Amino acid sequence: MKYQFLWTPLIILLALFGAANSGQASKIYIDIDSPTFLQFPIAVRDFPQKGEGQVETADLGIALPDQIKKYLKMTGLFNPLDRRSFLETGGASPAEQIRFSDWAAIGADYLLTGAITISPSEIACEVRLSDVVRGNALLHKRYLSPRPDLRALARAVTSDILLTLTGDEGDFNTRIAFVAKNGPEADIHAISYDGEDIVKLTSHRSIITSPRWSPDGQYLAFTSYRHGRPEVYLHHLKTGKEKRISSHEGLNLSGGFSPDSRNLLLTLSKDSNEEIYVLELDSMRLKRLTYNYSIDVSPAWSPCGKKIAFVSNRSGSPQIFIMDADGNNVRRITFEGNYNTSPAWSPRGGKIAFEGSINRQFQIFTVDEEGEHLTQLTFDDANNEYPSWSPSGRQIVYGSRSGSKSRICIIGSNGQQMRILKESGSPSVMPAWSPRMNP
Amino acid sequence: MKKTITLIGLLMILAFGLTLLSGCAEKKAVVKDEAVQEQRVGASDTATVTDDEAARKAKEQADREAALKAQAAREAWAKKNAAALNALNIQNIYFDFDRSNVRADAREILKANAEIFKANANAKIIVEGHCDERGTAEYNMALGERRAQEAKQYLVNLGIDSSRLVTISYGEERPADAQSTEEAWAQNRRAQFVLE
Repeated sequence: MKYQFLWTPLIILLALFGAANSGQASKIYIDIDSPTFLQFPIAVRDFPQKGEGQVETADLGIALPDQIKKYLKMTGLFNPLDRRSFLETGGASPAEQIRFSDWAAIGADYLLTGAITISPSEIACEVRLSDVVRGNALLHKRYLSPRPDLRALARAVTSDILLTLTGDEGDFNTRIAFVAKNGPEADIHAISYDGEDIVKLTSHRSIITSPRWSPDGQYLAFTSYRHGRPEVYLHHLKTGKEKRISSHEGLNLSGGFSPDSRNLLLTLSKDSNEEIYVLELDSMRLKRLTYNYSIDVSPAWSPCGKKIAFVSNRSGSPQIFIMDADGNNVRRITFEGNYNTSPAWSPRGGKIAFEGSINRQFQIFTVDEEGEHLTQLTFDDANNEYPSWSPSGRQIVYGSRSGSKSRICIIGSNGQQMRILKESGSPSVMPAWSPRMNP
Repeated sequence: MKKTITLIGLLMILAFGLTLLSGCAEKKAVVKDEAVQEQRVGASDTATVTDDEAARKAKEQADREAALKAQAAREAWAKKNAAALNALNIQNIYFDFDRSNVRADAREILKANAEIFKANANAKIIVEGHCDERGTAEYNMALGERRAQEAKQYLVNLGIDSSRLVTISYGEERPADAQSTEEAWAQNRRAQFVLE
């Protein structure tokens, strides 16, 4: 009798567990973080195209698969196979009659097929992702667009392929803000993940530093000398409206947002020494977090909101420290080298990226919250600075200076697959990766 | 007894439910059955900035003009001050790499500067802190402030009224010498004094 009652909650519990994991339980994602991970070999067949209606759509059946391949490559996770190796040519057979053995023979694990139907009012693109070995469809989806927006279509398809195979949509619907310097003047610009669409966001023409996105994608916080000294501004992205939110005596420097976007970390020197504060944005209430007679700067919130990483020179040289969100339990996590700064917390938690001085140059490193598993990601002959994680946590953007060249680069969080996002003669510095925007 | 056990059971379910809800990461899953899904792409404009291009341009133009005016005013001031400063012989002080303590040689300079500041008791003193280009721009903002603060404190100890002293850090953004040499870096790690 007793035992019967004990069983009841256990069964409900199991049912709950099952429900929470439905849609996940049957899926086995490939562990792309494993050091033995090899890029997915994928074949993308040309999309047969029918119907006519809009200009610029003539070669969409080739241009779209090409753009998807370019984007798949950009993730660092895929190896799109060369069209010339295909045994069957595009458009020959409808998707239902794929001979998977032909694709397995050329080494493809996955096959992307599609068809485009063009009408005067709409472009419909039906896409199917197949597992070549098992011969089944993993994704079958139709994308409708009022105009032949090649990049938007390719972004949507590639994001779904990533979500299907890895459980995460990747970073296609993101932008990267950076400070573009022009002599003594600077302003914040933003560039999309594929290196296109550079937009100027501010018009300050003054010293600007430390841009930080709010996790809800609504605001950019930054420090500007527009009125002759360092003050913190909040820039509303939709309207372009700006508000000065911190102008205490001395230094006002922007730090990271809290995960709920309602609080902003700041470095202020108003109490005679550079300390870290948290500003509640609704009430403008300020709370001091650090009490130490040394420099405390560059605070960054953990993705769960429970901890804050920051830089302090309290032990003699700049090093990375972690504290609880209320300022308690301060502990140092970097011990190698005598100059470690710019901490950035991985959105997936656990790891912190930073820049460290080694052989008189700055390189990007990661370390975990316990101060263990120190990993150097960049090794080239340049100063690599200011790391910022992508929302997927799989890539890191950073600024790279060497000689007169200024680059913004993206590297996998395992140190593989570096690509140059932007290169220029005038400095582009302090890149900050946006959260995911609505596609 | 029965009631207690049922209650414990319910509490367990509640606790378990909460742990499921309080996870940090949110996962989105693609439904992978053979039913075709549909998505609209590019129907709504994704651009967030170009709401009203004309108004924006006009505002930008006005901003630019205001900025230019302010800059002209600042430059006029700077010119006037520079002339006055040259006449007064106020000297910069210099710092060691990644340090903000006032060096022995700097103390003598600050004593001489303090006499000049005392003789011009009506002027406000802006103490600018600067760094060399090595190191992190953001950390250097803090280091520049620290240098300015240390210089200010030393001047206060020498009898200058603290209400006359304002600090401002320029980090590594305004080098005195733009070259990347040891000599240039030594010249750039400085506190500079401007009378107003």
